Amino acid sequence: MSSSAVAAGDLVIDGLSVGYGGAGGLRAIERLSLRVEAGSFHALLGPSGCGKSTLLKALAGLVRPRVGSIALPGGGSYAYVPQGSSCFPWLRADENVAYGLKLRGVGRRERIERARGLLSDLGLGGFARSFPSQLSEGMRQRVAIARGFAVDAPLLLMDEPLSALDFQTKVGVQGELLQLWERRRCTVLYVTHDIDEALALADRVSVFSHRPGRILETIDVPFARPRSYATLRERPEYGVTFHRLFELLEAP
Amino acid sequence: MKAKRLARGTLLGLVLPVFLVAWWQVAADREWISPLFYPSPSDVLERTWDQVLNGSLVDDTRITAYRLLLGFVFGAAPGLVAGLASGVSRVVRELLYPLATALYMVPRIALLPLVLVALSLTDTARVFMVAFSVFFIVYFSALSGVEQVDRTHIDTARAFGAGRTRVAISVLLPGAAPAVFSGLRVAMGFALIVIVGTEFLAANDGLGARIWKSYQIFDFVSMYAGIVAVTLLGVALAWVLLVAEWLALPWRRH
Repeated sequence: MSSSAVAAGDLVIDGLSVGYGGAGGLRAIERLSLRVEAGSFHALLGPSGCGKSTLLKALAGLVRPRVGSIALPGGGSYAYVPQGSSCFPWLRADENVAYGLKLRGVGRRERIERARGLLSDLGLGGFARSFPSQLSEGMRQRVAIARGFAVDAPLLLMDEPLSALDFQTKVGVQGELLQLWERRRCTVLYVTHDIDEALALADRVSVFSHRPGRILETIDVPFARPRSYATLRERPEYGVTFHRLFELLEAP
Repeated sequence: MKAKRLARGTLLGLVLPVFLVAWWQVAADREWISPLFYPSPSDVLERTWDQVLNGSLVDDTRITAYRLLLGFVFGAAPGLVAGLASGVSRVVRELLYPLATALYMVPRIALLPLVLVALSLTDTARVFMVAFSVFFIVYFSALSGVEQVDRTHIDTARAFGAGRTRVAISVLLPGAAPAVFSGLRVAMGFALIVIVGTEFLAANDGLGARIWKSYQIFDFVSMYAGIVAVTLLGVALAWVLLVAEWLALPWRRH
């Protein structure tokens, strides 16, 4: 296992295997290789339990791979938006967003100012001093997303950040998320199990196999930006691409 | 609507206490029950007030409160530190947990003779009794508080670059705080029981001693006065803890 940084380059994963519980234990990921182009929005699509989350955790340094290498872009700095409720309940919305900045030594005044700017961008300007328990699930996810963007890392790892939201809220947050991303153009690796979401957000989609996870195929999403959720589906390529991804997910 | 329901709840809650006190008053006045053993509430209140005015009840309350609070602090502070340390460090946990579990099983008051042998009939012994019982409750609540911290929060902090110390301070400590406070509340209840029991057996002053001595000389009115005072002391301390919790955990206020 070697981990080195390629300046301003692509994210390169080579022959990565991750398992839990020793040699005879669960094999979550097996010999997975993937190149994610610098500045692209890359979706990881796969059935639940296929190892998508494990891959993000390995990239975030939370689990140690057995073999393989990871080359992180831009000095190796990254931000992580985990699956589920990840806002710290004891911090107010702006303090949650500023958490990563605090760890990076940014002064209180500046980090709170930046956090509030991001919250405003996500339509939460009036909730900066609220605790997560006072916010709806959709608002909490926006806080977690803002926390990911706040540190301005060249790589942003997002693990199904919108999967708990109702459709309407999800579409709204997707739009805000894309706006934040287009202003920064960091590399985004975005885990989802939702084909429509992958097609609405990503430049490329990599489909996972069943466990132990590896990449079956990577597909270019043939739509220019900005994309509109409503008109996207009227395009003939939409059905073709959707169908292709669906077949890959169905693969044994 | 909400206010109406709240008002009805309050009224309903008052029905039984008011009925019981009224029945007790009437039963004692009419001598259905022996007014010697069960003096009426108005007698108890009158005598309690007399004893407040002559200072004796206040003195005993102060003495008990002093032993209780000192013991509480000397038990809770190390309990908190040891519990958090055991939650964070496997080595510390493996060192402390078995002994703590074994000692936790000993009924606290059963140790009184041993403590008196070691520390003789002093306030140190009484404070130690309280501290000893408080320590374990706070230890276990802090430990389980740390263990119950959401894994996602720990992962999030680590992914943002937090090391072990930073994770402990910025995630484990606030995450465990609610469990610690509920442990402190339980511990306060235990502390009250232990100090009263200790004063029954091993003190000449304090509310426990007052209740016990009054019983022995058939001064039942004073006995009730002592019970009322020790209850009010418990209520006041529980309230202080609730206020401390309210101040310390602003995210749990609503």
